Amino acid sequence: MLKSLLNGALALTLLGTAASAETFRWASKTDPQTMDPHAVNSAPVLGFLNNVYEGLVRRGKTMAIEGALAERWEAIGGDGWRFFLRKGVTFQDGAAFTAEDVLFSYQRASSEAADTASWFAPVSEVKIVDEFTIDFLTKAPNPIFPDSIANFMIMDKGWAEANSAVLPSKDEGNYATLNANGTGAFKLVERQPGLKTVLEPFENWWGKPEHNITRAEFTPIQNPATAVAALISGDVDMINPVPIQDAERLQQRGGVTVIQGIEARVIMLGMPHKAEMLKYTADAGKPNPFLDVRVRQAVAHAVNVEAILAKTMRGAAAPASQLVSPAMRGYSPSLEARPAYDLAKAKSLLADAGYADGFTFGLKCPNDRYLNDEAVCQAVVSMLAQIGLKAELDAMPVRNYWTELRADNYDMYLLGWSPGTFDAEHPIRFLAATPNKEKKLGSWNFGDFSNGRIDELLPMIQSEIDDGKRQEMLNESAKILQDEVAYVPLYVQPLVWGTGKNIALTQRPDNFLILRWVTVN
Amino acid sequence: MTQAPVPQSAITRAWESDFMWSFRHSPVAIVSFVVAATLIFAAIFAPLIAPHTPFEPGTLNLMNGFSKPMEANEFTGETFVLGTDDQGRDVISTILYGMRISLFVGFAAVTFAMVLGVTLGLVAGYAGGWTGTIIMRIADVQLTFPGILVAMLIFGIAKGITPIHLRDQMAIWVLILAIGLSEWVQFARVVRGATLVERNKEYVQAARLNGRRPLGIMLRHILPNVLGPVLVIATISLALAIIAEATLSFLGVGAPPTQPSLGTLIRIGQGFLFSGEWWIILFPSITLLALALSVNLLGDWLRDVLNPKLR
Repeated sequence: MLKSLLNGALALTLLGTAASAETFRWASKTDPQTMDPHAVNSAPVLGFLNNVYEGLVRRGKTMAIEGALAERWEAIGGDGWRFFLRKGVTFQDGAAFTAEDVLFSYQRASSEAADTASWFAPVSEVKIVDEFTIDFLTKAPNPIFPDSIANFMIMDKGWAEANSAVLPSKDEGNYATLNANGTGAFKLVERQPGLKTVLEPFENWWGKPEHNITRAEFTPIQNPATAVAALISGDVDMINPVPIQDAERLQQRGGVTVIQGIEARVIMLGMPHKAEMLKYTADAGKPNPFLDVRVRQAVAHAVNVEAILAKTMRGAAAPASQLVSPAMRGYSPSLEARPAYDLAKAKSLLADAGYADGFTFGLKCPNDRYLNDEAVCQAVVSMLAQIGLKAELDAMPVRNYWTELRADNYDMYLLGWSPGTFDAEHPIRFLAATPNKEKKLGSWNFGDFSNGRIDELLPMIQSEIDDGKRQEMLNESAKILQDEVAYVPLYVQPLVWGTGKNIALTQRPDNFLILRWVTVN
Repeated sequence: MTQAPVPQSAITRAWESDFMWSFRHSPVAIVSFVVAATLIFAAIFAPLIAPHTPFEPGTLNLMNGFSKPMEANEFTGETFVLGTDDQGRDVISTILYGMRISLFVGFAAVTFAMVLGVTLGLVAGYAGGWTGTIIMRIADVQLTFPGILVAMLIFGIAKGITPIHLRDQMAIWVLILAIGLSEWVQFARVVRGATLVERNKEYVQAARLNGRRPLGIMLRHILPNVLGPVLVIATISLALAIIAEATLSFLGVGAPPTQPSLGTLIRIGQGFLFSGEWWIILFPSITLLALALSVNLLGDWLRDVLNPKLR
């Protein structure tokens, strides 16, 4: 009797572990702010939603473009691109996927309420050819257009209309902020912002699943040490990021695998190019010194990037000289030198600009977005103090951060940028072009940097088909941005993920965790 | 913690000698007094003692970061007795300056709580009736919340209403307000209890017949007679306030990173627990422990000495 009871209990336990073994739990510093794929153009949101929604095209394990909701596509001469859609695809609520949904999603994602509008700056018109064929017409020949819309996710028209979520809502939120209905391999079953988000496989997905997950739970863990402890104890199966300082020790201990790579993300300092006055500290209200290029150059010369890399990043990152990393298409190898760390030069530049005694200002910084972001900002504060620029640091969670930057509440800020297209044109369009809502340009150019030549070069770069000529124009832009110190690029951020030994997955250089490549053994 | 009903002049004389005798014969009291006094002294004179001014960003060298205690830094060759943190700040200096903030917040918060609690307690005890009932019910309600929760609530509200650019400067004062408001109840309860006893004593009635106003009676006659237990609570509250401040700062809602207290230092150090830089968290933690423990033991001893029942 006792024996059979014990056996029963044992069998139950085994069953229990077998069932839960395919639950995949992962944790990251940042909670995706919204479940709306068009409301916020940031990696945590897009990366998470890539599991739920799908685009016309998607990126494979090596970032190569492959078909998703479009089976194939072809250029219509120089006028644009024709996409042939996959047939028999259904949304997670059962509705059929057609060209209507693509047109609707285009209108939604390119509307002024959307954060993704800049993606469609080159598009002049979208035309439905038939139920499963759609044309994206461009203002000029656009060779990289299909590459640039891998994160343009398709939403069901009927679902959005029925739930009055026809337009995305970034700040107030609407039905699509908390609910999702994509065509992707996973569907959203539970969403508690900031606490827990649960996905389950979508049984009618058109593709062939490569994963063996039955349930995936995401938890944001803000404190990196807590995340590491959770990984070691097995409370979570994967964390992103692993604090750089812990990578080496974690690697040495059993039970945990550390996966390292170089992310496509460049970390940089941004400054106001248009604001008339400083906004923070005792000097608030005084004329904005960053309008003077010499002051911006002084900042670039005063930041000791080598020290940040050696200490704060523990040798895991590479210095950056441009808005893109050397691994991106269109990087300018001839301009790879950063401004040298030279305090004397920085001081003399400041003196020339009339700030020999320095000034004080406010530095804004996220504290849960990039690897060691707050520590990097603190280091920048002490480095700038050595040339008399006294920064008051305000570090905040990323959920408040973008709002502050959009409201121009900074004198200097920290920004990381990873080009979604893996091409040097991307940051020029988002960060350097003069902000223009109508043309959907410069949407993340918080400092309102504006340069006539850059604005002139951008459309030419976008439509140039000859690689050599295109590269020349990219080099020219990169040179202007360096000379004008539009930003002070600091370093290329490393990617450090930690997983349990029983987990197999693929680390994509854009820092997206794609659940359909995860296996739990 | 009831008050000994002895006439005041007699108390003062007997108190001195008794007090000192007890102190001389309590090794715990002597040791805690020495530890607490040393730490407080070091904190007050931190600018003179500390090898560096850790919160003057211009004087920091990032390459000094993560120096091990008593070992020369591999890049700069400088040696730091207790090592440095991730920004290259000397740990001894950060502790000395951090303790200043911890102690300042502790003393200020306890003073605030004491003034508020004693006033309300005196009023509640002396006036009685509705006034007393309302005050004490508020105290009861507040007692049902953990103090740290009340402090976090106040901190959150204050953070919401202060303008962004003033937040860092205000943070310390908000912290004092938050901790003070979460600890006044103890004072109010004890003072009210003592006042209820004193109120009906002959000397108070005599003063009343003489025509003294209630305010005068409360301040000149009752207050001196209830101060004994107040002193005890104040000492124990000081230890609690230091710990509350450390907790809030550890949770990231207290002292800002630009003016770190011991709690902030422990929070910073916690990030390096797994990576083997143990000194960044260990030394601030030991300091906090020594400070809170010595003040607490002093408070305990004081309570025993001042409690007639234990004598």
